[in-house]
Amino acid sequence: MIEELEIILETTSKILQKHVSHGLRKNIDSENTDILNLWNDIEKNGLPKISVKEKFGGYEIPFFSILPLIKIVNKHGTPLPLSETILSNYILSESDINPPNGIVTFATNTKNLQIKNNMISGEILSVPYLNLTKNLLIVNELNNVKKAILINEINGKIIHKKNFLAEPRYDIKVENLNIAEIKPIKNNINFNFLGAILRSAQMIGAMERVLDLSINYCSERKQFGRALSKFQAIQHQISEMAVELSASSAALSTITELGLGEKNSSDTAILKIRAGFAAGKIIAISHQVHGAIGFTKEYELSYFTKNLNSWRNDFGNESFWEEFLGKRFLEKNNKNLWEYLT
Amino acid sequence: MSKFNFPFIKETNELSNLRKEVREFITTCINNNEFTPSPDAWVFSADPSFSKKIGSKGWLGMSFPKEYGGHQRTALERYVVTEELLSSGAPVAAHWIADRQSGSQILRYGNEKQKSSIIPQITAGECFFAIGMSEPDSGSDLASVKTKATKTKDGWKLEGRKIWSTGAHLAHYMIVLARTSPASEKNRHEGLSQFLVDLSLPNVKITGIPDMTGQRHFNETLFDNVELSDDSLLGEEGKGWKQVVGELALERSGPERFLSHFTLLDSFINEFRNSLIHSGTKIVGKLISEIQTLRRMSFSVASMLQNGESPETQAAFVKELGNKFEKMMIETLREFSNIVPLHEWPNQLQNLFQDATLRIPSNSLRGGTTEIMKGIIARQLGLR
Repeated sequence: MIEELEIILETTSKILQKHVSHGLRKNIDSENTDILNLWNDIEKNGLPKISVKEKFGGYEIPFFSILPLIKIVNKHGTPLPLSETILSNYILSESDINPPNGIVTFATNTKNLQIKNNMISGEILSVPYLNLTKNLLIVNELNNVKKAILINEINGKIIHKKNFLAEPRYDIKVENLNIAEIKPIKNNINFNFLGAILRSAQMIGAMERVLDLSINYCSERKQFGRALSKFQAIQHQISEMAVELSASSAALSTITELGLGEKNSSDTAILKIRAGFAAGKIIAISHQVHGAIGFTKEYELSYFTKNLNSWRNDFGNESFWEEFLGKRFLEKNNKNLWEYLT
Repeated sequence: MSKFNFPFIKETNELSNLRKEVREFITTCINNNEFTPSPDAWVFSADPSFSKKIGSKGWLGMSFPKEYGGHQRTALERYVVTEELLSSGAPVAAHWIADRQSGSQILRYGNEKQKSSIIPQITAGECFFAIGMSEPDSGSDLASVKTKATKTKDGWKLEGRKIWSTGAHLAHYMIVLARTSPASEKNRHEGLSQFLVDLSLPNVKITGIPDMTGQRHFNETLFDNVELSDDSLLGEEGKGWKQVVGELALERSGPERFLSHFTLLDSFINEFRNSLIHSGTKIVGKLISEIQTLRRMSFSVASMLQNGESPETQAAFVKELGNKFEKMMIETLREFSNIVPLHEWPNQLQNLFQDATLRIPSNSLRGGTTEIMKGIIARQLGLR
């Protein structure tokens, strides 16, 4: 299976290299044929259903094992919700719902959700890329049962959110919208945890790119008669980026190997804290070493840093997970810290 | 990018059992008042009889071959033992350097006589080492060392000074980096060699230097034309730089780079658990996330060492991140005194906190400064 995954990673890189340019990111629209072509290539290779059960036409590679794929997709700055689709389809498939073809996105949050006669009403919040699809996954607790809800037609009041001007996001207010499928979710599927892991893997991919961009820019840009990269002050700042990135990657590799684990939590919290903290540092340093050019729309750095800013805040920011982790340990009164850690 | 990867390594059941065994041993020692847990114990707290005891348990020279009295266990097993010793603040300073780096260095580069005479003593916890790198005029710029070894009729003559040699006053040997031929214009790393120096030889003079905490662990070691036998050369003449770089990877990547003050954190949490539940969950969560990440990275480096790789860059990552974490931790605890004022902390905790605060500036100096670590990383990134 590892070999299989390696082939998939290689194919994916090739597809993305062929299609993704900074120009493509400026026109994320369902009318844009370049976007459609990219999606068609992605779908032809089965990537959206990589973690979907075989009986639903997927590759059935465990979600945690494909995190390196999420990293690559976001390292390329792919302006499509492939990451969201992969996670949504995984959750649908695990909930015994046959995932639809095409792009599937999810609601990051909801408010006042009500379900009556197989119809849903309420506020569906912070939905990425709703301009590209009508397929939407909502995970919600109703009468103490967690449910996966699939919608494939959207109407209602749609508000385009500003969201750091990063990937397109929408809030929707719906009334009596038809539900395509609704099923209870298995215990081992925790949407908030999976979302935090997804966003962390995306951040790490984006941070790898930001580091590369910074190294390349500083090696080429000359001031005071030499490349910026020859200044120790610059070298040390970029080294700090690498340190933060490596710590985040280490936290990710734990999840890739262990999944949610038996304890089902602390590793996810650690990953989101680590990646979110690293993103803060890396956004600041990369812009600092790039100077004014990094602050332009024309240059691609900001595409990545805007997304980083957005993903840091999804599914719990650092403070949320720090409190979660701290509480979890402190409330276990009988254990000292070292016992807990080991 | 492979230099920045820290693959996840799982702690097997065997390793967990070893961990338990070490922990039980330590608990017994503490209950019998054999030692009081102390901070920064791998630098400050030396107890040769404890070292001997650890040696007899088979926990020194763990990965060394059996033919030299070693135990042929893995670097991961050694990692688990060192973590347990560090987190409990056990008095490990006497043997620390010998077990961490000098023994491995001798096994890797030493001749048969050096190996068979010294390694068994290290594993028994009876032979201690000091590091012979820094000099009064050579700190971060290690290649500029002036200590000189000159070939004589039946050996070498060693002349120069080493400084900041932690524990030299208790040590039996020092691995000394010395110049054996002038640096070439092109490459100043050439012409350096390592020597295995018996510190009881005539004309070796060791003088203590009290550090700012008032304690003695630092020394200046003077080699005033010390006559060395021919087989004191460690490894190859002129290859000292390459050898010393490998030694530094062993020195920098271990859990002492982030567990030096764990006893403080542990006592702090035990004391203030109830207040922390109300107003400190966030800081505790932050600290846990950092320690766990560092443990995984350091454990991953141990597995690279086990596989015979040379993780010099990864070691720099661990050291840099570990140093930053320890400083952040002490600041975090200090800020908590806003909630429970410092003067209301139990005496023992106040002392631990003050010790840690005083000692913390040294953590990003010893074993290579922050600036050197960042330089190593920058080179790996292709910036230098």
